Amino acid sequence: MSILPAMPTEDLVFTSLVQRANPPSPVKRLRVRGVKVQRQQKSIKELSKEETAFYKNPLKQSICVEMLRRGYHKSFSELFTLIQKWNALREAGGPGSAIWQQKPLEEQHEKLDQLQHFLTRAEAAQRAGYYEDVYKNQFALAQYFKELGDHWMSNHFFECCFQTAQNIKKDNRRNEAEANANLGLVAEEHGLLEKAAKHYEAFYHLTADQTWRDETGRTHKSVACENLWRIYTLQSEKMLHEKECQKAIENLMKALDMARGGGDKKLEGEAAYRLGLAHISSGNPQTAISSLNTYMEISKVLGDNVGLGKAYEAMAKALESQGKIVESIQYLENFVEVAKSSNLNRSLTETCICLGDIYNTRGNYEKACKYFSEAYETAIPLGEITLIEEVKVYYGIAKAHSMMLPVSRLIEAADYVSMERLHAWKKSRSDMFSDPENSGKQYSGEVLSSVTLSGFNCELTSVNTASGKQEAEAKDEAQIETKENAESLVAPQ
Amino acid sequence: MAQVNPLSNPKGVKLVCELCQHPAHIQCKGCKLTYYCDVEHQRADWASIHEKICHLLIPLRTPVPFFTSAEERSHSIAQLIQRKKHLIEITTKEAQKLLYEGRHADVIPAATHSLSLVIDVHGLASVELVPVYLLLAEANIGLGQLTLAEEYLSQAYWTVLKSTDCSNSIRSKLHRNLGLLYAAKGEFDESLRHLANDVYFASTVWGTDNIHTSGGYFHMANIFFRQNKMDVADSLYSEVTDIWHTHLKRLVDGQMRASMRSAPGWFEDSSHESLDENEEAEALQIISAICDIREQAPRTQPAKTVKVLYTLTMLYFLTMDFQKARESSRKLLQAIQQIPEDNALEDISALLKSIESKLAAK
Repeated sequence: MSILPAMPTEDLVFTSLVQRANPPSPVKRLRVRGVKVQRQQKSIKELSKEETAFYKNPLKQSICVEMLRRGYHKSFSELFTLIQKWNALREAGGPGSAIWQQKPLEEQHEKLDQLQHFLTRAEAAQRAGYYEDVYKNQFALAQYFKELGDHWMSNHFFECCFQTAQNIKKDNRRNEAEANANLGLVAEEHGLLEKAAKHYEAFYHLTADQTWRDETGRTHKSVACENLWRIYTLQSEKMLHEKECQKAIENLMKALDMARGGGDKKLEGEAAYRLGLAHISSGNPQTAISSLNTYMEISKVLGDNVGLGKAYEAMAKALESQGKIVESIQYLENFVEVAKSSNLNRSLTETCICLGDIYNTRGNYEKACKYFSEAYETAIPLGEITLIEEVKVYYGIAKAHSMMLPVSRLIEAADYVSMERLHAWKKSRSDMFSDPENSGKQYSGEVLSSVTLSGFNCELTSVNTASGKQEAEAKDEAQIETKENAESLVAPQ
Repeated sequence: MAQVNPLSNPKGVKLVCELCQHPAHIQCKGCKLTYYCDVEHQRADWASIHEKICHLLIPLRTPVPFFTSAEERSHSIAQLIQRKKHLIEITTKEAQKLLYEGRHADVIPAATHSLSLVIDVHGLASVELVPVYLLLAEANIGLGQLTLAEEYLSQAYWTVLKSTDCSNSIRSKLHRNLGLLYAAKGEFDESLRHLANDVYFASTVWGTDNIHTSGGYFHMANIFFRQNKMDVADSLYSEVTDIWHTHLKRLVDGQMRASMRSAPGWFEDSSHESLDENEEAEALQIISAICDIREQAPRTQPAKTVKVLYTLTMLYFLTMDFQKARESSRKLLQAIQQIPEDNALEDISALLKSIESKLAAK
């Protein structure tokens, strides 16, 4: 065979190896399992074929070949398909997508190593028929990727766990239950509530008669209840958003059942509260009241002031829509007390406004003023300009209402004392009518109307410019008064 | 068969044998340009390749006349290269065909021709050499000349190592041949390493569950089998069976549907994909081997046996070997009674029916 070229000499082979033998990255240098130490003592000619292949080929190939060589062909095809799928996803995402920025799987040596380790162990266990071990290894991988924040991979392995768990029959299907819980969690993270609910329901049914506990000592059953409660609540929220009250209520009932089953009072209260709210919005206050009562009691037992406050507020709303104003006021006043003692400024302001409004419509202007001023004081530290403005206007209206009566009386009387009095008020612009003793004096109606008119104009401009905060602060007092004037002008017409 | 006497050659001209490069005594009467040392070699060359390329060699081996213009000269060079490329194609194809037919001894002259032409056209370090080396190596393994085969394979390996633009399918083929060589020599570790590389490269081209990848799996399984690692071998054999089963099932389903659409018998729909020669030979080798192993296993696994028999039946059906298809379907029916429930039963009976109808049509 003289036409064949002469065989390349050994020297040639090794010079080419020397050039390629530099490990491309520090990670790769680190992961030369045990070979490294030996390598330092060896001259380059003593490298075995495997070692040269290891230096020469990309790590992905080395790992694949290593797995195949030991007969783990399923692990190989799993790893290979994963990498391919990932790359396909990346291609589909195109440049600029989030996945495009990530490092490809085949360059993440740590991950490849972990995959090799656990996949081969899982396959060995599967061959021997020990599905528990298969499950453990797959679960370890899922956990590993979850910790690294690689959700795509961890989801894949949770799915695998689920598949494996269905083959395990020995342990009363405990693993299956756990796999269901994990998948539920995954689905929930992706916003697939239906799927999540399905998995959690399976989890619940599997755990219902068991006394299993997780690492922290909680029973699986209570975990299942809590999860299901959360999913049902989320689902109902979505339904409420889409105005499907009946379905939402059904879901909330289920959530309440779950919370009861789980034995967690706080959750139960929360569920009852939401159910109450849903009933209110579906126009069924009577049913709402009973569930709100439950919530109130639970909050009392737990000493949860925030919860109690919320309960009073919702209750008042329910009663109000039923027309039971007196009871409603009582609940609201209860709530104000609670809110004051537990520093709930925001809801305190709102409740005060609410109370003031009720008193205002019922003609009790004095009390209305009191609550509005309280609302104003609590609103200031919150620093929300729109809220403050709103309260200011409310306060002004109530104040004007309360002044309307004496002013009109004075005008009707039309004697000298009344005129004097109106005049004095116009000069000082302080609230002197609430003082019943001074109500004898009288002023001219025409003068009053011109004053209030100018005040009204002033208010208009101040409202227009009120967006500047300092200006609003500076004019606080003046504004309240101008509003009073404006109201008194507008109201009688 | 014209006699040539080496002593009467013109001065400076050495006529050598086409096959062994020894001084020639005989001249081919067809082209009058090819020489042999004896009748043996001439016959071998004729049977292998010379019959097909005798007249094609004439323009290559006659000395080029002198052209006066540069244009003419470059044209004649281009034409020569074109002719050589054409010849390479013919010789390689012929060698491949002979290899499928199992005529290993006849492969060698054809492949040698091809090799010398490739070297002539592409140079010594080109990737184009690799397929030819692989042909030669395979033929030599077939002839039992392992040392020679190893030499060719080392050449091929070296060429692949040096070149950067070698396709993965060629790499896969090279590693498979290396694996088979080492398996024949009994060096199982080395063989497994190469076969693993084969599977890896094949997977990058075709995917992990393709019939092209299954060959690597199958040879690996054989080695594990010989190493007595039964569980690994078993799992690999199942994998191979699954791959072929899915592939053949798809083909059979396609054919069934086609035959349902068109009028049966005389009008065959040729648009659907089918196995080519190479795949057919490989499939037959792999599946019947697995079938034997399953049947002779000390602990029978009826489900797996059924699957491989089903695959074999489909293969015979696709290759139009209906007599054998009937035989294996009988075995299949026997085996299927041992397993409690099989949802493929319907498909199987449909297949059997169409086998019977084809036999009856004959």
